[in-house]
Amino acid sequence: MDLGTSKPIFSSYQKNKDLFDEIFDERNNVRPTYKMIFDLYSDHSIEEFAGLNEKAKASFFNQGITFQVYSDKKALEKIFPFDLFPRIIEAKEWKTIEKGVLQRSKALNHFIWDLYHEKNIIKEGIVPLDLISSSVNYLRQMIDLDPPGGIYNHISGTDLIKHSDGKYYVLEDNIRCPSGVSYVICNRNALKRALFGVFNHYQIHAVTNYAENLLEIMESVKPNHVDVPNCVVITPGIFNSAYYEHSYLAKTIGIELVEGRDLFVENDFVYMKTISGPEKVDVIYRRIDDTFLDPLEFRQDSAIGVPGLFAAYKKGNVSIVNAPGTGVADDKAIYTYMPEIIKYYLDEKPILSNVHTYHCSKKEDLKYVLENIAKLVIKPVDEAGGYGISIGNRLTKTEIENVKKVILENPRKYIAQPIMSLSVHATYCEDSQSFEQRHVDLRTFTLLGKDKSFVLKGGLTRVALKKGNLIVNSSQGGGSKDTWVLKK
Amino acid sequence: MLARVANNLFWMGRYIERAEHTARFMNVNYFSSLDAPNKLSQSRQFVLHSICSMIGDDVDDDIGLNEEDVFFNVGLNPEKPYSILQCVKFARENANSSRDMISTEFYESMNKFYHFVMNYPKTVFVKSGLHDFTTNVTEHTAILRGKIRGTLLHDEVYALIMLGINIERATQIIRIVKTKFEDAQKATGGYSNPIKNSFEWTTLLKCCESYDMNRRFYKKPPVQLTVLEFLILNENCPRSVMNSLNQIQRHVTLLDMLKIKDKSSAAFLIGKMRSEYEFKTVEEIQKNVEKFIENTLNTLVEISEKLEKEYFNY
Repeated sequence: MDLGTSKPIFSSYQKNKDLFDEIFDERNNVRPTYKMIFDLYSDHSIEEFAGLNEKAKASFFNQGITFQVYSDKKALEKIFPFDLFPRIIEAKEWKTIEKGVLQRSKALNHFIWDLYHEKNIIKEGIVPLDLISSSVNYLRQMIDLDPPGGIYNHISGTDLIKHSDGKYYVLEDNIRCPSGVSYVICNRNALKRALFGVFNHYQIHAVTNYAENLLEIMESVKPNHVDVPNCVVITPGIFNSAYYEHSYLAKTIGIELVEGRDLFVENDFVYMKTISGPEKVDVIYRRIDDTFLDPLEFRQDSAIGVPGLFAAYKKGNVSIVNAPGTGVADDKAIYTYMPEIIKYYLDEKPILSNVHTYHCSKKEDLKYVLENIAKLVIKPVDEAGGYGISIGNRLTKTEIENVKKVILENPRKYIAQPIMSLSVHATYCEDSQSFEQRHVDLRTFTLLGKDKSFVLKGGLTRVALKKGNLIVNSSQGGGSKDTWVLKK
Repeated sequence: MLARVANNLFWMGRYIERAEHTARFMNVNYFSSLDAPNKLSQSRQFVLHSICSMIGDDVDDDIGLNEEDVFFNVGLNPEKPYSILQCVKFARENANSSRDMISTEFYESMNKFYHFVMNYPKTVFVKSGLHDFTTNVTEHTAILRGKIRGTLLHDEVYALIMLGINIERATQIIRIVKTKFEDAQKATGGYSNPIKNSFEWTTLLKCCESYDMNRRFYKKPPVQLTVLEFLILNENCPRSVMNSLNQIQRHVTLLDMLKIKDKSSAAFLIGKMRSEYEFKTVEEIQKNVEKFIENTLNTLVEISEKLEKEYFNY
């Protein structure tokens, strides 16, 4: 390499001291875990790196690892931006995360069962009744129904951040249809294609075993009286923004990817229409929201569901993964009771911390929130994808007044949390052709089956690509990184 | 396998094959006309009409055509269902819907092909890109066929794609034969002297990528008799109708071994057609070429409809 004309890639890295940098410690030294990769990457010139970055992008595009965005009624294909600098999680750190997310998944499963049966946690006054009764995600159709294997949230996606204190906090538990796992695997492949040399220096856990574990989980909750269950993935169709992931999962698991119109119900059994006639279906991994599953039971205008599916489910003739009605527990208001929920059902202390949360439904909390908006993040409890979030210190005075008004109109709809400072990670920025600090979070994937559980050793590190931005969702311009969990 | 997905795979095969034949027909006809031996074959209008006729958008001979318009319509016009661009778009849409059934490697090639066609600049294409674009299309389709054969399980997924490809190939070959046969008649005013119009027969063979092999097989310049025999009846010529029929039969059997016993099935009709072809002579065909072509096309349509009814009805 010609040092005379090329600049090393970290030459213009600017550090903000108030933020937790995953790569550099307070004294500006490279953290031991990152030392090797930092040295390896520093050997590249900016030009080389720009070239690798282009190649990685082209590889995603050619493979069709894309999502659709709609503008001017035209569908555009976009790649999910990918960053070539991996996030590394040490073995010890990971152990805590793994135990912590599994603990939450198990507690949530008990909690949902309770909500649809005895409701003990409400009777004992630990979780307020109106949180449940006012939740649109509470499905009365699920009351007293026992899902096969006793599992509701087979698949959980837990969002974690590292705060400026260097500790992990849980931001959200996603237990409806958490997405993103296909990108975990694709990111790993893309990084291997571009910079295979770096893998020689680290002992990293593989992420390719997700599909086989998912199949085992699905098979473990098969309906009674079925020997070898026929499992399928159901998708809303090729125009869904996550269609790539649906087809990827079906392909890697080795099962059929069906749409609602491929299935029908007869005598409370579900069948798919194949070239050699109807074939019974036993376990459905659904990537369709609850209310669209069955037009006979939920939304009548659903064109992507299967009429009669819920009746078959009620009879125990088919398993649905995740179970309908789990949404009641991934409500952001329920999140704030997670420490109590874990204590109540498992009699354990929470392994992972919650971010302190103020409920606008509680009088004293509401008062605090209204007086301290500038220090808080205000979130609607039932929106996904980072929509409707206001970050207090970014608002003008008039905007603060507007937010107050909105909260007062429907306090139940809002919670507030202290502004957490997400850790930052060196991220290649195309505009400046250099590495810059960008905020990151981490989504982990946990599977829960009958007598079986699995946490994917890795995860989706999402990056907010806009400078200073804290919202990492892909629908809001976020990217992602390969995430390495070290073996030791 | 899902009936809907089977339908997707079948049509994916058809559209890939259709894109290729359209591209090659355009290319060979246009470039061979540039130094054609007789005036009519050299005429741009004659060539443009021939292209329109092959893709099924017949225009009266006395209506003048604009070269750039025809190129655009047949190549890249998103409004024309027969354009190469639409074929590739449909092929990829069908691949998308059956993405869990096909290999990552095949899908990546399909996707690259799609982006190549979608991003090809229109103005370059109609002014100077004809050769570049059409040869690239044929290259891409060859890669796709390679990936279909080399990376997919040779089970019913493969069988359905191959059914689509071969039914389309037989259809396109016979359409090309029809178009060039008509051209040859026009160029000499009737085909009473078949040797003289060897130019049109050469073009026909090149349109089907079979010229070199035809010369090797007959060791003589192509004439009507040898060309028809080669493209219709020679089972070793990979582009012949006979070869396609053999493949269609093989793959329909793979789908269901027993259906052939049912007189109303597609498999039975395919077997019947194939047997008739096997013992047909070119001299018989020569007696009434138009009629023979029409019968072949009709039977292929009937086969496709029967397959649809038996396997894709959902």
